[in-house]
Amino acid sequence: RSPQVQPAFVPHRGATGERWEAADAAAVPVLLPSTGCWIPSPTPQDILYRSSLCRKLWAGKSGATLDFARQLGHFFVDHPEDAFGSLGHLLHKNFYLGNTKLKVTVSRNSTIRMTALLEDIDRLEARRGCPRQHLASRLRWFSHLCRDWLFEVPLGLLADCLHEELTQQWSNLLFDDSFTGGALAWLPPEDVGTPVGRLVHPGGHAMNRLYFQDVVLEELPHTQGSPVQFELSGRIRQVAAARVDGQDFVGVRSDYHCGVWRVPGKTGAAPAPLQVIRTDVPASCLTVSPHLPGELSVCTQSGTIYLWSIETGLQQLRHDPQTMFFRDHSPWRWSDFTAHPRVLSCADRTGLQCLDARAPKRCHFDLFKVGEEAGCQQGERVVLPMYLGRAHPSQYLVTTQFSMYVLDERLPLVPILKWAHMMKAPPLFAHLMPGKPERSHKVLLGASRTQELLLLQYRGGSQSACQLAGTPQKLHNIAGCLQHLPTQLPHRHHLLQQRLSAPAAGLAAMLQEDGPHKSMLIFQLSEAGDVFCQRLIHKAAQPPVPPSRDEATTAPGSSPLFEAPASSPHGLGTAALRYRRWLRALFKTWREPAQHTCPPSLSQRRLFTRRDLEVPAGPSSLQRQMRQRLCQTMQEGGRIQCWEPLALQPPPLPQTLELPGGPDPLSTRLTAAWAGDWEQWWEERTSFSVAQRQQALRERRRRQKRAQGHHSLSASFTSSLTYQSELSELSDVGPSQLSHSCPPLLSQEGSPPAGSPPVRSPPPSPAPDEALLSSQSLRCRGIPKERRKTLRDYLSVWAEGPLEPPEPPGSQASQLCIPSSQSQLSSASQPRRKRPRMGF
Amino acid sequence: SSNEHKLNFKKSKEACLSYIQDALLQKQWKRAAEFLTCYVESLEKDYSREHIGASEIIWRIGTEILWHHSQSNMKEFNCFMEQMKTLGVKRYLKVCLEHVFHLLCNGQIDEAYQNLSLAESWRFGEQTAIQDKEMKLIQAYRGLLDYCSWSKQKNILLEHGEDGFSDLAVEQEMHGYFRKAAVNLKEIIKIPGVWDVFVRCYVDLLEFYGDHNEARQVLNEYAYNSKFPANPNAHVYLYQFLKRQGESKKSLISALKILHDIVPSHELMIDFNTMLQKSKKRKKRRLGLEVIFAALDYAGWKENAKAWSCLARQVKQIVISEKHLDWIKQEWDSRKDWWPAFHFSRYLAKRNWQENKSLSFEKALVAGILLGKDCKYFKYVSHQGCKAQLKRFRMLKKFVTRHNAVYLRISG
Repeated sequence: RSPQVQPAFVPHRGATGERWEAADAAAVPVLLPSTGCWIPSPTPQDILYRSSLCRKLWAGKSGATLDFARQLGHFFVDHPEDAFGSLGHLLHKNFYLGNTKLKVTVSRNSTIRMTALLEDIDRLEARRGCPRQHLASRLRWFSHLCRDWLFEVPLGLLADCLHEELTQQWSNLLFDDSFTGGALAWLPPEDVGTPVGRLVHPGGHAMNRLYFQDVVLEELPHTQGSPVQFELSGRIRQVAAARVDGQDFVGVRSDYHCGVWRVPGKTGAAPAPLQVIRTDVPASCLTVSPHLPGELSVCTQSGTIYLWSIETGLQQLRHDPQTMFFRDHSPWRWSDFTAHPRVLSCADRTGLQCLDARAPKRCHFDLFKVGEEAGCQQGERVVLPMYLGRAHPSQYLVTTQFSMYVLDERLPLVPILKWAHMMKAPPLFAHLMPGKPERSHKVLLGASRTQELLLLQYRGGSQSACQLAGTPQKLHNIAGCLQHLPTQLPHRHHLLQQRLSAPAAGLAAMLQEDGPHKSMLIFQLSEAGDVFCQRLIHKAAQPPVPPSRDEATTAPGSSPLFEAPASSPHGLGTAALRYRRWLRALFKTWREPAQHTCPPSLSQRRLFTRRDLEVPAGPSSLQRQMRQRLCQTMQEGGRIQCWEPLALQPPPLPQTLELPGGPDPLSTRLTAAWAGDWEQWWEERTSFSVAQRQQALRERRRRQKRAQGHHSLSASFTSSLTYQSELSELSDVGPSQLSHSCPPLLSQEGSPPAGSPPVRSPPPSPAPDEALLSSQSLRCRGIPKERRKTLRDYLSVWAEGPLEPPEPPGSQASQLCIPSSQSQLSSASQPRRKRPRMGF
Repeated sequence: SSNEHKLNFKKSKEACLSYIQDALLQKQWKRAAEFLTCYVESLEKDYSREHIGASEIIWRIGTEILWHHSQSNMKEFNCFMEQMKTLGVKRYLKVCLEHVFHLLCNGQIDEAYQNLSLAESWRFGEQTAIQDKEMKLIQAYRGLLDYCSWSKQKNILLEHGEDGFSDLAVEQEMHGYFRKAAVNLKEIIKIPGVWDVFVRCYVDLLEFYGDHNEARQVLNEYAYNSKFPANPNAHVYLYQFLKRQGESKKSLISALKILHDIVPSHELMIDFNTMLQKSKKRKKRRLGLEVIFAALDYAGWKENAKAWSCLARQVKQIVISEKHLDWIKQEWDSRKDWWPAFHFSRYLAKRNWQENKSLSFEKALVAGILLGKDCKYFKYVSHQGCKAQLKRFRMLKKFVTRHNAVYLRISG
């Protein structure tokens, strides 16, 4: 045996790596901004409670306080129709929004001044956070009264839903794992000769369109032709791609759907959708097999892992809602392929296991565990695992919020490389660029919220130990280009800033080698749908001391991008031109939608015109007419048969039950009685045929009932019990009654002596109310049919005195079918009436 | 208020840290160093208890900066390390180890040794479990350095021995190193863990002094103790040791069998297969087929011409003898739904033919037998081979056509 050679000590990390330098000062847009507005996702300021007291609490350990009340308030203001549409309309008349005192004494009783309430609310707002705050009694009183009925959706239910949504939004803000894996894929050209690759990215307003865009690789990549696009039914969360046998398979994951496309290797060949699956629980992972065509793995948040084959369908490998190694609340699951095409890794926040798809229950082993073996910190959790098969068939990358690990599945649990990445947000995206033998493999790590982008190099694994090569390097992010852009107007600057600092949503990269020139292209996708690209250039010779620009920070405002480089003969660089075009397109999209994107609002004026609602100064013509008629009748000593002005009487309904020939017997009898020859009439009557008499009797009885139940005032003064029973009796009568035309005016039993004056007739409420309530007048005013009745019912309750609007009998039966609350109200008799109107 | 001041202080500390991080990741070492000095200053004014975390940050970042900074030198680095050692008692041993590694990487082995000895004599209060482990590590590294010195002396002696004159003093010294190294190395490999370097050095020492039983025991313990992580290297070392010892085929096979169970894709599986194929026992040959099939399941073996030739040879043997076709059938049954797409697609036929003719020959033979003469892979390769007027491809075609019945039996 040969004598052992002196061992050389090499550092685990810090060995010299390849030197890559950014070609430009910032990332450059690849695509023009999509048309249409982009709605930025909520920020912590939007949903957190802002008050000095609470900020202090927040700084402590009590956690964030969600501003629940403000959000509920926003909902009421933004969606008044949904919040209290119907009652709001009904009560419209009873709220007064002016500053002055209420003038008319009549309306004073039925109207409240909202200004006072608003003042109270303002005062309350000003005292927010004051420990000795107490609610103004008026407010408490108001809320106590209307909490139960004012809201369209029950307040408790609404609050529950809102609170749930708010906590969900907040946890998403803290850490949103739905984008894990990234929604950007790069399909490199099949043969190195053609410099046209394909970018697969989501777009559109809701990020629900999938684009396959040809990209020509030149100094700066640019698009070629228009993209092939597919519209999907959900927001695209992840786009995964793998090349098998010269074909690219692209998996696309949205919350409840996963789909797979095949892209033939030839340039220009159209991508073909292959299959779609739907899940009941949101899917959290979709990876494409690098070994077998048309094989993918899918995980759902219920803890189920499937092997999905285009030919044979879904095979469930595991279903376990619990996490693997210790309890963790996160439903996130991940799965990827391993060196063996039948063995899949499955991961949750606590670690990774490998499963054999042929016997998933029996054959599995632990690949990574958050714990002592890997030297994990407390609270460390798996964020993204990735199979590094293209670098080394048995290597695996696992990132946590603190570190990145490289694992070898032949020696599981003990990482062969560990490095604390110091990223501010956990790395949700990773991309591997395998190096040729003797060269380092490059791994890109990307975070979502902070857009961080890191380039790491490592080598070894088979012959030598795995080691980190060179120092990790920070790359440009999208937001970083802001300082290089020309100065903008402040509001534009703000919008631009918002747009550029949208969280990252994906990452893709490629190595490009033509002869001695090696370069790396890195694409970054933002949630706003922007794709930015940067080029890194490989520096072969490493100068001992890196000169100048490395150390000098670019001052904000100075923009090397926009300076004409001395070397370039064309004046401005291509990057600058690209920016110009992008900015122009962006500003154009901002200007355009401004005209027609104001939120749709429903004007209340359409329901009640102002003229309808204003209290008339003097008596209207209708009132005058009525008064005149009343006076006249009184002078004549007559009775008013019908209060309705003739013009407003309902159209006559077909009279089927009317006796054939002559006016109805009651009218004739009454006419006779009024004339004084009642006895004669009776004589005549007795000679009628029995059948006719019976018929007449039945008729009379029916009318009598109706008069009691509905029209007669006396009924409302009897006990509510009897009234109820009569109502039910009435309902038994059924539809035969609907056909009655003119309501009878007097009931026989309940009517006062004939000679007494008609005291109860004119209602004390203003006459227009009456007119307003008749269905025809309501129709004339454009009040929709379904609201007419509600309005009438409502006002009939509030009106003091016998305000039973004359109405066609046709609506009687339907009145009985109205919701119970309404029938209770109408059945309520005296004691109710005496109460002040709902306490206003 | 003081509370607000504290809050602001915390904020500016965090900001400073993020500046440092930013500079580090952009390789702006000078800038990072400047920020770090600010960070250290702020630490001095800080009376909060969080300062333990901060001192660790300073140690780590400072090391990183000094490692890369263009103007730093070894003296400064050592000075910084000494300061760091005193900054936190709990971290003393860790910092020492890190310092030693740095010295070793710079080739200052003597200084490293001194530092290790110094650290070994360090005591602070009662030893915690972690400190105990770290101390063991420090001793182990000292043992490793002793082993290096021993190995150096050994080489000198061997060279001199060739010249025919021996130096007693050098020999004495060498034995001294051996004793020191052996004591320390023996200790560390008792603790469950991955100690490949230490185990190899220790076994080397033992073998040199002829203590084969001890060496075997150490290796067996390292490989088979269930408290240790399942480490394929342990089995590899054991196998290599047994081979050096000229052990029987049986014990070699049993060592490799376990390796096969742990890592079916290990490089040694080819040796294992050849060994088994040669065996006279049916069971062993059966295992050999299993081993080579299992190895070829892995993506890393896809283009391994040696492995394919092993499989082709064994399959051919079985087909010719027409015995044990059921072995192939059993192996094939669990693979027939995915091997055709994984190994024998038309795309791969084309590529294998272009890149490696002998690989495509072996694969075509296997494909022809397993999938029949109409299989895409076989058809393409045999066609190309015949077109190129290669004799062995014509033979291959004949062979497969003659034995096409085998395919029907396997797939049936």
